[in-house]
Amino acid sequence: MERVAIEKKVLSENDRIAQQLRARFAERGTLVLNCISSPGSGKTSLLERTLEGFPPETRVAVVTGDIQTDNDARRLARFGFPVRQITTAGACHLDARMVEKSLDGWDLSELDLLLIENVGNLVCPTSYDLGEESKIVILSVTEGDDKPLKYPGAFAKSRLMVLNKIDLLPYVPFDMEAARRNARSINPEIEIIETSCTAGHGLDAWRQWIGARIHEAARKEEPG
Amino acid sequence: MHEMGIASEVIEAVRVEIARHPGARPSKVGLRVGEWAGVDVESLRFCLEVLVKDTDLDPLALDIEFRPQGSELDIAYLELEE
Repeated sequence: MERVAIEKKVLSENDRIAQQLRARFAERGTLVLNCISSPGSGKTSLLERTLEGFPPETRVAVVTGDIQTDNDARRLARFGFPVRQITTAGACHLDARMVEKSLDGWDLSELDLLLIENVGNLVCPTSYDLGEESKIVILSVTEGDDKPLKYPGAFAKSRLMVLNKIDLLPYVPFDMEAARRNARSINPEIEIIETSCTAGHGLDAWRQWIGARIHEAARKEEPG
Repeated sequence: MHEMGIASEVIEAVRVEIARHPGARPSKVGLRVGEWAGVDVESLRFCLEVLVKDTDLDPLALDIEFRPQGSELDIAYLELEE
């Protein structure tokens, strides 16, 4: 019997494409944010409110993933910014090749921000690098405050947790402090913003967070 | 779920490796799976069993090393019998 070392990363082809994408995004100074969450946590609503608040000259585009339908792309296209839908036809996540194909014809140097709305799922999307600068996990208060403990991968790999639908806090048994504590027990560095897309709470902080990251991405692009 | 795709990639890597060792038969493949890799280990095990069953790779034992608080998803080794 002979043991042969292989030491190969599974999904290495996805990782290779993701690294190429990351290099393209960095070269052109495009900030890419990969938004992941359970179905129904409010990803599309958050992106709607985000686009709504941007001036028309903002250089932003959106790629949105769903298993079926282009409903989200149609919702997001109302704000006048470029939007593309990826319909995965059964796949529970976006992968780097899907994102690469979705960018065909877009001049990234004309974009400061690319928002990716992943398929609603807190497990599989965490395995697939899309070349993003940051993952953002969205958790709504209609879900359990122990979700960071149940789905640690999503929270471990995200730079920011958006606690969404906080206008519903009076009606649901969601412990905000427990949610923060649980998220930080998985990822001590995770940043947290609280939002309500219907009442408008926290959206300024969210836009400021994006603005700071865009500024950072542009600064890294500058020579020297 | 995406475990079937991952299992397919493992089988592909096994076939690439055995092509380098003519006459050898693979008996076990070793994987490292991190807690945060987004992979259900039992589902992955089931998918690999399905893909191997009744093929020239059958039987192929699976050794999964689970890594707490890790993000690894690696094919670590392959055991071959002459």
